[in-house]
Amino acid sequence: MEKARISSIQMFLLLLGFLFGSTVILAPAQGAKNDAWLAMLLGGAGGTLLMWVYAAIALLNPSKTLVDILKEKMGKVVGNIFAVLYTWYFIHLASLVLRNYGEFICTVTFPETPMVVVIGLFAVFLVYAINSGIEVIGRLSELLVPVIPLVVLIISLSLITVHDFTAFLPILGNGMTPVLNAAFSFITFPFGETVAFLMLFPHVNKKEKLKKVVLLSAAISTLIGIILFFRDIFVLGSDLMARATFIPHLTSLLIPGFNVESLVDINLLIGGGVKISVCIYAAAKALSQIAGIGDCRKLTGAITTFCVVLSIWVYENVLEMFKWAEKVWPYYSTSFQIVIPLLLLLLSLWKKSKPSDAGAES
Amino acid sequence: MIIVLAVFAILISYDLQRFIRKKERARVFAIYAFLMAASLTVGLLLAAGRRPLSPSQWIEAILRMIGVLK
Repeated sequence: MEKARISSIQMFLLLLGFLFGSTVILAPAQGAKNDAWLAMLLGGAGGTLLMWVYAAIALLNPSKTLVDILKEKMGKVVGNIFAVLYTWYFIHLASLVLRNYGEFICTVTFPETPMVVVIGLFAVFLVYAINSGIEVIGRLSELLVPVIPLVVLIISLSLITVHDFTAFLPILGNGMTPVLNAAFSFITFPFGETVAFLMLFPHVNKKEKLKKVVLLSAAISTLIGIILFFRDIFVLGSDLMARATFIPHLTSLLIPGFNVESLVDINLLIGGGVKISVCIYAAAKALSQIAGIGDCRKLTGAITTFCVVLSIWVYENVLEMFKWAEKVWPYYSTSFQIVIPLLLLLLSLWKKSKPSDAGAES
Repeated sequence: MIIVLAVFAILISYDLQRFIRKKERARVFAIYAFLMAASLTVGLLLAAGRRPLSPSQWIEAILRMIGVLK
């Protein structure tokens, strides 16, 4: 295994950047409309629990990646099949985030530029970062991720004069069902996507802090998500918010006196960059482990090229992107994010308790 | 279409000379060739305006078939 090590703070910031990812432009849990904050609270609690499961799997299998764990717990053949499916999942996830980035930039910032150029150029920088190693991505996140909450703070404070503090009322006007559906969506996007970190957790130098790091990043991400929701609904109102495509961007346009639109682009560049880098790194590492190739960097170029093509191919237009993310993604990703990890946790706990039982009997 | 071919030619020639110099194993070449061939095929089809059914549509169809989506 690669001997690269990243500190707990770098892992915390990587997780935070990953969780922000495209949520910086796509407000999650919008299915619940006015009650999205409630859905975020419930989904945040569920997501934190899910991330705790991932951390527990990593701690029960120290120094092992997801592929190693799958092979060990499920056998070589079945483990390899699941590992290939996970590789596909990471590549698909990277492509979806690349597409989110491309759609946003081509709709808002560079409407005349072809999307493939925007996505391709971004991918070139990301390949360079990934090939530099996980330590470099960790250090980059240390440098850049703190900018995200700072930008959120700047935009939120700038809008303090244009708030309607009753815009989120009435509470539970449409009943509990939309809230529960949105909470489930919020678990799968973004929390469940951190399953990719099972390929990175072996690189953390202080394993004893892993659970703390994971719980803290999930809690802070939920908190900032809720702050963002309240900011957006106080400024836009629920009707406009339901009709807007890129909600945080629209909010940033309403600041009286000056234009901070580019700050939203910066947030997406950082959050999206971290998320895509982690996904491509996880895919390259998984594929190299399946094929028995020592250095995963040999495959990053080909995987990134495939991701760029897939990101253009995957949706016909922005409406299909939003529809798919809302209707299909939560159900498609459930098996990767919840079912298989829970199975791995049970198998890890079972195999851990087995030798001690045998020892007690002897 | 020519642009797509040119971009792939540059990418493949850059990577292949690196692989040959380092005498990489056959499986590296095989995985690389598979990924690049898939990307090139889809890239050319997209450039020609003949977009094949995307993986998202396959996934949606499968989920509908097994009754997860209605």
